[in-house]
Amino acid sequence: MLKFIVRRVVRAFVTLILFQSLLFALIHALPYDVTAFTLQGSSWREFMQRQLGLDLPLWTQYFRWLGKFLQFDLGVSFQNWPAPVSNIIFSRISRTLLLFLSATILAYLLGIWLGKMIAWRRGGWLEFGVTLGGVATYTSFAPWLGFVMINIFGWYLRWLPYQRLVNPNVWFNAPVMIDSLLARMVVTGAIALGAFLLVRRASHGLNKNYWRWTSQAAGIVIIGVGIGAWWSRSGLSYLAIDILSHLTLPLATVVLLSFGETMMIMRAAMLETKHEDYVLTARAKGLPDAVIRDRHVARNAILPVITRLALNLPFILVGSLVIERVFTWQATGEIIFNAIEYQDIPVLLGILSMVGILALIAHILLDVIYTYLDPRVRYIGLE
Amino acid sequence: MTTMPQQGSNASTREKLRTYLLHRWVHRRWFYNNWELFIQQPHGKLGLIMIVIFGLMALSHPILMETVWNRTLFDPSIGFDISIMPHPTTPTWRHLLGTDNFGRDVFSQLLAGTQTSFSVGIVAAIIAVTISTLLGGAAGYLGGVVDAILMGISDVFVLLPAQIVLLIFGLLLRLEWPMVAIAYGVVTGLGGQAIVVKSHTLKIKAKPFIEAAQAAGGGGGHIIRKHILPGLLSLTIVHAVFTVVGAVLTESLLSYFGRTQYYLSWGTMIWIGQQTFRWFTLEGQWHVILPPAIAIMLFCSAFYLVGRALDEVLNPQLRVR
Repeated sequence: MLKFIVRRVVRAFVTLILFQSLLFALIHALPYDVTAFTLQGSSWREFMQRQLGLDLPLWTQYFRWLGKFLQFDLGVSFQNWPAPVSNIIFSRISRTLLLFLSATILAYLLGIWLGKMIAWRRGGWLEFGVTLGGVATYTSFAPWLGFVMINIFGWYLRWLPYQRLVNPNVWFNAPVMIDSLLARMVVTGAIALGAFLLVRRASHGLNKNYWRWTSQAAGIVIIGVGIGAWWSRSGLSYLAIDILSHLTLPLATVVLLSFGETMMIMRAAMLETKHEDYVLTARAKGLPDAVIRDRHVARNAILPVITRLALNLPFILVGSLVIERVFTWQATGEIIFNAIEYQDIPVLLGILSMVGILALIAHILLDVIYTYLDPRVRYIGLE
Repeated sequence: MTTMPQQGSNASTREKLRTYLLHRWVHRRWFYNNWELFIQQPHGKLGLIMIVIFGLMALSHPILMETVWNRTLFDPSIGFDISIMPHPTTPTWRHLLGTDNFGRDVFSQLLAGTQTSFSVGIVAAIIAVTISTLLGGAAGYLGGVVDAILMGISDVFVLLPAQIVLLIFGLLLRLEWPMVAIAYGVVTGLGGQAIVVKSHTLKIKAKPFIEAAQAAGGGGGHIIRKHILPGLLSLTIVHAVFTVVGAVLTESLLSYFGRTQYYLSWGTMIWIGQQTFRWFTLEGQWHVILPPAIAIMLFCSAFYLVGRALDEVLNPQLRVR
């Protein structure tokens, strides 16, 4: 196993270097020159080129950049010189994660649940309707869907705000920074999730359905009241509510745009797993239908979905340019768009290569985890 | 006497025709069976009908331009109706979907945009599927050095987000639709699809019927043609459909951001409509924005539904019977 991991890491490193070279070649194949727009004469332009290292031959630039990159230095931005690229990226990354990470996880949960349901009731009108709805939202044009959501829920019904991360009037003289509040909210969410899982685990043994449901509902109410009390004692709940209300509309839009794909993959995987022998055994044992569905089919069918999640997760760092534009969210997608507009090569290379590194790490982790998740997969024969 | 050979040749032609038709029937039975399975599914039927309608829309545009529509009034990019004065007009009988703020007929633009979407989607799908099947199949079947090199390339390309690459290109290059289609097809085909095809080829290669074919004396070409490629067919079709959807959405996005150098596209229509549109009051150009947006949705949904239905027919593990 260790030998396999070492080999995989070495290969990922070679891939990373190749990827960097490809990125560098792609971007420098274009006639990008940030100094061409200067209005202060050719001597100033030469000075700029010398400052930014653009007068060097391309090979020297490449090896310089690669050497710096291997020391975890992404260089200096052209657009707001001399800010380091890593600072620019990290200043926006919490916004990206807040919206796109939570939206991706929600979309996957929703997609897995719906896919499970429609695979089990195959051929009915429910399946037809859910499939049509999922496909329609998945294939709808992102800016248009965003505007429709804003128009309905933001403008006509006036339920939710639809611009920016926070309302400046609410945050005037706020006692905390946004980032610390976000961290607090994430911790709260994790605690709530853990408590809910504990309640579910504890109520698992109750054999009557209505007792189980009642105890779960009671647990949820107790958790909710506890968290509400904690937040209202801290006196920051109005800020958290402000962030959550701003988050709702973009989150809903991203979830609507992306859950259909997961749903269809989950459905296909469920239908493929349904004919396995162990499902027949489970039926022969006389297990209830829901138990077969949830524990015998869905748990095995979830593997391709998890693969897809792991492969897609690094790319949420790129964000979604459209959603950020429509909802004025100003996360990493906006950085990329600005970098393209202002020909800010270091920022572009920095973000794309960070995505590459994360994706490679995800690939390695996936390969390692797969051997534990699915004992049928063995790499000895393949490698 | 002169008629005899003619009659004889006639009879033999009829005989030949009958044998030919019989052979055809035997071979086509596969097609008809699958067709019946396909058409039984409501999704597949719905998607196919929508694709046919879009195809008719794309074909009808040049015909309408030649016959019914006056070119100076109804041309999708330079037409201008001088008889109507305040120019974004709502739908009338003369202009079925109204006009935009440059005085151009929206219905004509919609039909012309269908051509762009079809071209982009189909070219991208063909390129992606060809690349992924050839390279992934070769890597899986041949193994060894070929596998290492091809999968090395795929591992690099899977890290590239296609939309951002195209946005970067679109800033300074004049992007035409073939370039968008080719770039999207190459990035997706070389990236994720080739890896999936390779792992699927490995699965097929390990099946007993390959060994049986080899034992029966089947050569490499025979095995690839008769066993590997049919096994990859369902995956190929699913990939093609996903590529069509992705390419059309990417193309619309690029032209929505004004990164493309051609006019006739649904994304450009939405972009132009939005210049003077007040969303919150639905005043102004709803008739410019809604048709292309809904068209994009229906077009991609149609391909998606057809792909799903085909997958259900061709993938033996999903089959209904």
